[in-house]
Formats: sequence, structure tokens, C-alpha cells
Amino acid sequence: MSDTSASPAPPADDLEPQRHAPSTGRIRWRDSEAWRSVFRHPHLDTPRGRALQSFSNVFLHVYPVKVPARVLKNRYSWRLGFIATVLFTILLVTGVYLMFFYTPTVTSAYGDMQRLRTGVGFGQLVRNVHRWAAHLMVLVVIVHLARVFFAGAYKRPRQFNWVIGVGLLAITLGFSFTGYLLPWDQLSYWAVTVGTNLVSYVPLLGAALRDLLIGGEQIGQATLQRFYALHVAVLPVSLAVLLLVHIWRVRKDGFAVRRGDAGSFAEAASDPGAGVIVPPTTPANADAPRVRLLGVVDQESVTAAEHPADDTVFTWPHLLVRHVVVALGTVAVVLGLGVAFAAPLRAIADPSHTPEPAKAPWYFVGLQELLSKFDPLVAGILVPAGVFIILLALPYVDRNPATEARRRKVAITLFTIMLVTAVTLTIIGALFRGPGWKFIPPWQHSYLEL
Amino acid sequence: MNLSRRRLLETGWKIGGGLLGVIAGWTSWELLRPLKAAGATGKIKVGSPGNFQKDTATYFGQGRFWVVNTSGHIFALSQKCPHLGCRVPFCESSGRFECPCHGTQFDLGGEWISGPSPRGMDQFELSIEDGDLVVDTSKKTDGPDHGARQFYRDPLGPSCAGNG
Ligand code: HEM
Ligand code: FES
Repeated sequence: MSDTSASPAPPADDLEPQRHAPSTGRIRWRDSEAWRSVFRHPHLDTPRGRALQSFSNVFLHVYPVKVPARVLKNRYSWRLGFIATVLFTILLVTGVYLMFFYTPTVTSAYGDMQRLRTGVGFGQLVRNVHRWAAHLMVLVVIVHLARVFFAGAYKRPRQFNWVIGVGLLAITLGFSFTGYLLPWDQLSYWAVTVGTNLVSYVPLLGAALRDLLIGGEQIGQATLQRFYALHVAVLPVSLAVLLLVHIWRVRKDGFAVRRGDAGSFAEAASDPGAGVIVPPTTPANADAPRVRLLGVVDQESVTAAEHPADDTVFTWPHLLVRHVVVALGTVAVVLGLGVAFAAPLRAIADPSHTPEPAKAPWYFVGLQELLSKFDPLVAGILVPAGVFIILLALPYVDRNPATEARRRKVAITLFTIMLVTAVTLTIIGALFRGPGWKFIPPWQHSYLEL
Repeated sequence: MNLSRRRLLETGWKIGGGLLGVIAGWTSWELLRPLKAAGATGKIKVGSPGNFQKDTATYFGQGRFWVVNTSGHIFALSQKCPHLGCRVPFCESSGRFECPCHGTQFDLGGEWISGPSPRGMDQFELSIEDGDLVVDTSKKTDGPDHGARQFYRDPLGPSCAGNG
């Protein structure tokens, strides 16, 4: 790698693998061939050393070597996307642990849940953490979406990443819905009964779609098995792939917007030719913008191209430290919740008795509230489909390049109305509804289902 | 010449890809489409018609239906709410069917009274064999539309929902 910049290069032998460890008498295992074969470079607190931390590690490679300094501010993104990623990782780990003890059959699923509670060391804790992390993930993904909206960060060149984000939300909801059935208790059975019957209101295809989803005419073994396969194989892989693309594009699009940023520098990143970057023109080459392949361009140009040179900081350690702290905090929160609150387990699923009230999980309870008032085709199909279509189309319909709130009054007003409506319906459904869907304020009796 | 060959290939790839997609869709559908129901369908004997007293509802768990006698008319009503499929229990105090999920109410004959259900309770075919009533759960007809009031009665007393 030819270093053409004027800054003095650090002594090469500090960074290059040393074949012959100096014989100081004691064993310097960090200089050993074996150590050096794993970690090719020692940690050096020089710009080049920091850059190499990112370059020479496949996991850190997700990060660029340098990021815009504004990314370090927490209020910048509230780290919501990152928190969601951490939660997903927690769900993967706890989920795989649960898989060791869980059999998806109607005869054993419920018993496995009970055994987890009483017979498996820390089994209940793992189940609690899985459950609360799942709820939190839905919440965090929704708040993340709202944050991105209010920041105007879905505008050019990030339109498609917003679309991917909406896909991630859908998959997250799919995760929760399929996971909800797995304990095979009364809560599971009836929430999924209501949820899948909704599908039968889809015009023309409804009945076929519903039967396809539940694998028969009634919820039973086929349903449990289908939901399990979706939950532990199809959805995790889909989410992982989409997440990869999502994060990749966040980086390629130059991280989140600055004020008045949309449509300016960031556009360059969306120019045709993926993998090709256009360094900002400097006086030296102002008339001929260079286009180089990422792989051969020298380090300084890579970072300079992605961000104006003056306001960048090294990812290692600045951003990384913040991420580690946020990840630890997230783990602490779900662990705390898991220790404090047990995941619910009602009586075993019983098709001849519907519990009162039969509520959907909180993120669908707003829909259930609508369903108690309006025709199922409207409330159960058209409204949710409409919301998703509006979300997907948003970046292509809202062509206003401004990111400041005062120049996006229409979009912000409409979105806020949507959000407030959804939140209100959810609160009414979750907290103010009792048996027979009667209005019962939570201070009389709480029928909240989690 | 070259150009047309390129076009041929491009179109060929597209058609090939499309065909692959169709085949993938078809095989997936064959794999995933639900197997024919092996569950509780078929004929269930429920006993002599005389057993069902006037203005009562009797539950049959294995067939998931109610047998009702509303002023002399006997019906077999599916327990499944036509709205979103919750089991509809009979409320003795009001003399009505009251769905716990979104609060639809039906009269004893299964006719819709109020709430979000799009119609009355679905009915299974009833017949008499050797003096016994037989319910065929594989033969279902949709419940009566809104507005049917043949068996309407005012509530006998307080509704069951909302008291707990
Ligand atoms: C975004 C990710 C995920 C979400 C939102 C999610 C959600 C859920 C929910 C709501 C339940 C019911 C929990 C309960 O009743 O305690 C559940 C159960 C389960 N999940 Fe997940 N899950 C996720 C990821 C995973 C992954 C990645 C796996 C495995 C690879 C997994 C395996 C399981 C298993 C085996 C159960 C049954 C045990 C139980 O109910 O506690 N989950 N999941
Ligand atoms: S399922 Fe009976 S009212 Fe909704």
C-alpha cells in the first residue's frame, strides 16, 4: 500500500509481523508466531494502528475506519438501530438455548415450558430474557423508525434503506407473532386464532392464505410446526440478510444526515456503480473527479471520500467504546427485566374455552381495538396494509429535500397523526379493555397481556 | 448479428428465470399447502331431540358446537365466532351468546344482535337417524345476515361480559 501523503509513516517494523521475537529471556507470547498468525498487528495508538484495527478484523470491518464526529453524539440517533441489533443478538443466543429444551408438538410444547420453569437451571431466566427482549425489540424498531422519520433521514439517497427498514419491521413482527404461539398456552392459542382468522378477510385469496399459514382448517400440530420453522429458521435468516444490507447501506450513504445534508454530498454515494466511490474534488484534481475501486484506493482517500476530511474520528476506539457501553446497557436492562418479571404462562391451550378477554400482544392490540368497531376487511386488512404501503412509498412520494422540521410541516403533521392514532388505539386496547371488550379503566382492573 | 445474439441470450435468461420462478412457486405450494383436515369432522350423534329443553343451549366439546332449542326450533351452532374465530360461550344470565373477544352478541338462535361479527353464528347440518339427532360438522352453512330477527328476545338479565 503506497502511502503518498506527506505525514510521516510510523516505523514499519512496529506493525509488521515480527518473525524473530527478541530474546529477552522471558516468553513474549504476543510476539510468537501463533499469536501473530491470529492478530496480525499489535495495537498501536497511532492513526495507522487504529485504522488497522478495523481493517484487519472481519467483525470490525463492518465499521469504516473513520466516522463523522457527529455520529459520536448519542442524541444523534439515540443508538436505536444499534440497540435493535443488540437485542436481535440476545434473541439469537437465548433462542438457540431454548431450542435445546423445546419440542414443537402440541403434546409436549406446554410441558417443555413448565419444565423450563422448574427443571432446567436458569431455564426460566432465559425464557424471560427471550420474551422481554422480543417485546423491547418491537418497541425499539418502531421508535427507530419514528426517529428516522423525524430526522428526515429517509430522503435521497437513503430511500431504499428506509424500505429495507420497513421490511425489518415486518420481519420483527413476524418473529413475535410466530414466537407467541410456541408456548401453546391459552394466550398463544387465542391470540393466534384471532390473528390468523384476520387473514381470511383478504379478498379472494383469504381462506387459502389462512389455511396455508396454519396448515389446515384449525390451529393444531401443523400450525405449531409451521410457526416453529418460520420462527427459528426462515425469519432469523431473512432478518440477518436484510440487516446486513441495511447496515452496509447506512455506511455507504455516509451515516445519518446532517442538517441540510440530504441531496448534497451524500448523493454522491448513491451514484451508479456500487463499490465505486467518488472522492470529493480537491483543488488538485478539481476538474477531473477520480473514480477508484474501493480495494485499491489508499486509506486516506477512502475515509476522505465518505466524509469531509475535517470532522471525522477514528471508529476504533471512539465509536466502538460507545457501542460496547450501549450493548452492555441493553444486556443489563433485559437481564434486569428477566430477573424481575416472569414470562407469562397460562393454562394449556384449550380449543373449547376462550379466555376473557382474549387479547392480542400489545403491538397488535391497536388493530384489535379497530376490529371491535369496524368491518374486519377495513380494520384488519385495509388499514394495516395501508399503513405498510404508506410507509414503503413515503420516501418516493415525499420529494421535499428539506430535513428541518419547519420546512416539512405537511409530512410531519401527517406522520404524527398516524403515530398518535396508533399509540392511542394501542393504549385503549391494551389497558382499557376487559372481558367482552368492555371499557374497564386499568385502575379498576388491568387486563394487559404481554 | 452480435447484437441480436445478445438480445436472444438476454431474453432467454429472462424466460428461463421466469420459468424457474414458476416451478419454484409451484413446488413450494405443493409442499406447503395444507393437508386435508384429519380433525374432528363428520357425524356426531347428540341424542334424542326431546333431550333439548325449550330455550336451552347444550355444548358438545368434541364437535365444537352448541345444540340450541329456541322456542321449539333446534339448531346446531358452530362455537366459532364468524368474526375472528373465538369460541362463543352461552351466557345463562342474559340468555344470549356473547363473544369474549370483541363483544359480539347473538340470540339463542345464533342471530346477530350487536358487535363486529359480519353475520350470525354458522350452523351445522342436522338430521335424524334412528330417532337420534345427528350433527354433521363437515356440512356448514353461514349464519343468517344482520337483520335476521326470527328468534330475537330481550335479554333475560345482565350480560356476562364486563362483570368480572
Ligand atoms: C428478533 C428476534 C426474535 C423475536 C422477536 C422472538 C420472539 C419470541 C417470542 C415472543 C416467543 C414466545 C416467548 C415466550 O413465550 O416466552 C418466542 C419463543 C421462542 N423463540 Fe423466539 N424470537 C426471536 C428470535 C429467536 C431466535 C433467533 C430463535 C432461535 C434460533 C428463537 C427461538 C425461540 C424458541 C425455541 C421459543 C419457544 C420458547 C418460549 O416460548 O420461551 N427465537 N420467541
Ligand atoms: S371473534 Fe367474536 S367478536 Fe371478534
